Amino acid sequence: MESGTFEKLTVLGESAKYDVSCSSSGHARVNVGRIGSAACAGICHTWTSDGRCLSLLKVLLSNDCVYDCKYCVNRRTADGARRTFEPKELAELTIEFYRRNYIEGLFLSSAVLVSPDHTAERMYECLWLLREVHGFAGYIHAKIVPGVSPELLTQIGLVADRLSVNIEMPTSQSLSLLAPQKKPEAIFAPMTQITRTQMEQRTLKAAGNMQRLRPAGYEGIDMGGTGLYVGEGAGGEAGALTSTPRKTGGHIVSESRRKTWNEKFAPAGQTTQMLIGASPESDRQILHMSEALYRRFTMKRVYFSAYIPVVDAPELPSLLSPPPLRREHRLYQADWLLRFYGFSADEILTETEPNLDYDLDPKVIWALRHIDAFPIEVNTASEAELLRIPGIGNVSARRILRQRRVQKVRYEDLKKMGVVMKRARYFLTCGGRYHGGKEQEAEKLRTVFMLESRAAEDAAALMNPGTLNAADIRRALGGGEKPQISLFEASL
Amino acid sequence: MNYIYDNTYEGFLTCAYHHWYTEKAEGIFPDELYQLDLCRYAMSVETDAAKAERVLDAVNARISTWDAERIYKVFCSNEPEKEMKMLRYIALGFRHGPKIRLMHGDPVVKAAEAAEQRVGREVHRLCGLVRFSEARDGISGNTLLYAKVELDNDVLEFIAPHFSDRYKSEPFVIHDVSRGKGLFAYGGEWEVMPLEAALPIEASEDEHGYRLLWKGYFDAMGIRERANPKTQRGFMPARYWKHLPEVSGL
Repeated sequence: MESGTFEKLTVLGESAKYDVSCSSSGHARVNVGRIGSAACAGICHTWTSDGRCLSLLKVLLSNDCVYDCKYCVNRRTADGARRTFEPKELAELTIEFYRRNYIEGLFLSSAVLVSPDHTAERMYECLWLLREVHGFAGYIHAKIVPGVSPELLTQIGLVADRLSVNIEMPTSQSLSLLAPQKKPEAIFAPMTQITRTQMEQRTLKAAGNMQRLRPAGYEGIDMGGTGLYVGEGAGGEAGALTSTPRKTGGHIVSESRRKTWNEKFAPAGQTTQMLIGASPESDRQILHMSEALYRRFTMKRVYFSAYIPVVDAPELPSLLSPPPLRREHRLYQADWLLRFYGFSADEILTETEPNLDYDLDPKVIWALRHIDAFPIEVNTASEAELLRIPGIGNVSARRILRQRRVQKVRYEDLKKMGVVMKRARYFLTCGGRYHGGKEQEAEKLRTVFMLESRAAEDAAALMNPGTLNAADIRRALGGGEKPQISLFEASL
Repeated sequence: MNYIYDNTYEGFLTCAYHHWYTEKAEGIFPDELYQLDLCRYAMSVETDAAKAERVLDAVNARISTWDAERIYKVFCSNEPEKEMKMLRYIALGFRHGPKIRLMHGDPVVKAAEAAEQRVGREVHRLCGLVRFSEARDGISGNTLLYAKVELDNDVLEFIAPHFSDRYKSEPFVIHDVSRGKGLFAYGGEWEVMPLEAALPIEASEDEHGYRLLWKGYFDAMGIRERANPKTQRGFMPARYWKHLPEVSGL
């Protein structure tokens, strides 16, 4: 252990902590190296004082940035210590932490040191050392710096489980205003390349395809030497495969599939992250953007990060404004509706109501807007219909369907199945009976739910008087983060 | 009739055998927990492998192997009066067969599900919350990884496959201090054995340094503007903190 390691680790960890993603999920693997494995569901190892889980060793390789993004703590013009890890040093540190079961793997990100390619080369060196020299088979999430060359991205993708390119801002206008050196094209190019490589990989591995049993180096996936994307930029044509010169002298069909870490390109997919509250976009714009990202790039997750004012700049909310935590929370709820409940962004937010209601969750709001579709009979409804009922989630919906195969669902059973009855009872019938009392009008129901959420908040505040929670912040602000945004618009 | 058994799984299955072939059970207790009940006869059941196997075969054949596994998980939980809950589940299973697992609304199924879920949660949580120290064997001088835990449920054998695969190139020990049991593993093989006394080992030279690094990193990662100790404790209950270097002050 070197003496400077402690300082580097704390400084570079501190700089990385605003990166949201810490998930170690998406790809299960047994130990194919000397140490390490990955669980499909991911494993959290500890929780920091802000209640966020710490699963991966989330750290920057360097915070010595040449860019000057307005919202960022590491921007070139900011004061503060600059540190850079040696790739070897970080690889050893990761292994030692991993041996002690402190972490589930490595989340390696970096400021732009000298140039995107220079940074990516050093990141790759660190990851390669981990995989090849230390025999590490645990989880690796690598952040891709916009503007990196496609060859390097390919190499990094083969040693990492998950890749992410931060989209940073919901619209390109905000991006050019706040991060003038990051171009939208430079962000979308690596995203496109990752998506296309994965599609190609899936196609080639599909049953009935003669490519399927070829060893990794000849599948057109391990593109290290084949030059599949080399020189074509990110928009590599799908037809490029046929024109690609193949390596000669190998076996056409291998006896056994290789079971090593570099068998696949980014097997746990890609994610991205955007900043909330630093720019004036409406929630509708944000949700539309994330819906488009899910559809177009088959993202695993689109993360939101409430902007914490760390920088005093005229383009940004003032240093005194609290982070829009409530807004971030409601956006995540809407994100869940997109991903697990079959909602579309247009259903959640209409043109007349472009922002989420921060007092109630978006599913309740949707149900109140479409009160005519309710109540729904749980014993006959389809899964999609069940999922529209507030208080019923994926687990309870599936339990209802399963029990229906052997016996009728009774009203008393619903609670045992995990249905949140204080919300659900207004929206369902069970065996033809409605249990929600007389409150069947949207306005009245809204009042009921509002009172309930207020009461819960007050109880929470009583339990935990020392900390400032989102509700206090909202009250102090006089009703939501909207004033903060208009303030921001005024300053433009 | 109350049955008293020796706190082994076979012992419980033998009690289940007697429930059907001798007399209905009104309570089944492990011997260390039994308190004299003047209203009922109590019988100390001698564990009989053949009888136990007959019950287990019946469960496998008439319910399913999946449910047999669930019943074993309930046995490993610290659920109060788990024996009667398991027995009721088996009885209900004999009546309904494998579809018992679809009856989510039934109180008997619900009770077993809840206990099984708690075991599953602890297994998953432990995969993250076990902390190894690099230790040196006082006799041979070899290094090994050693972790101390205090478990709620008896889940050492459920976490064993995960850790023995992950650390297959190094010997390690996970010591359940509260039960006096240890999980010993090396090279992908593992075994759970009684471990009452402390092992003759001492921390290696680097150990303290890495703990300091980890604690420093952990403290740096909390975002002050978002402080939320309640959520932190919700995910990481305080009873685990004793063995976590990042929060216990090394």
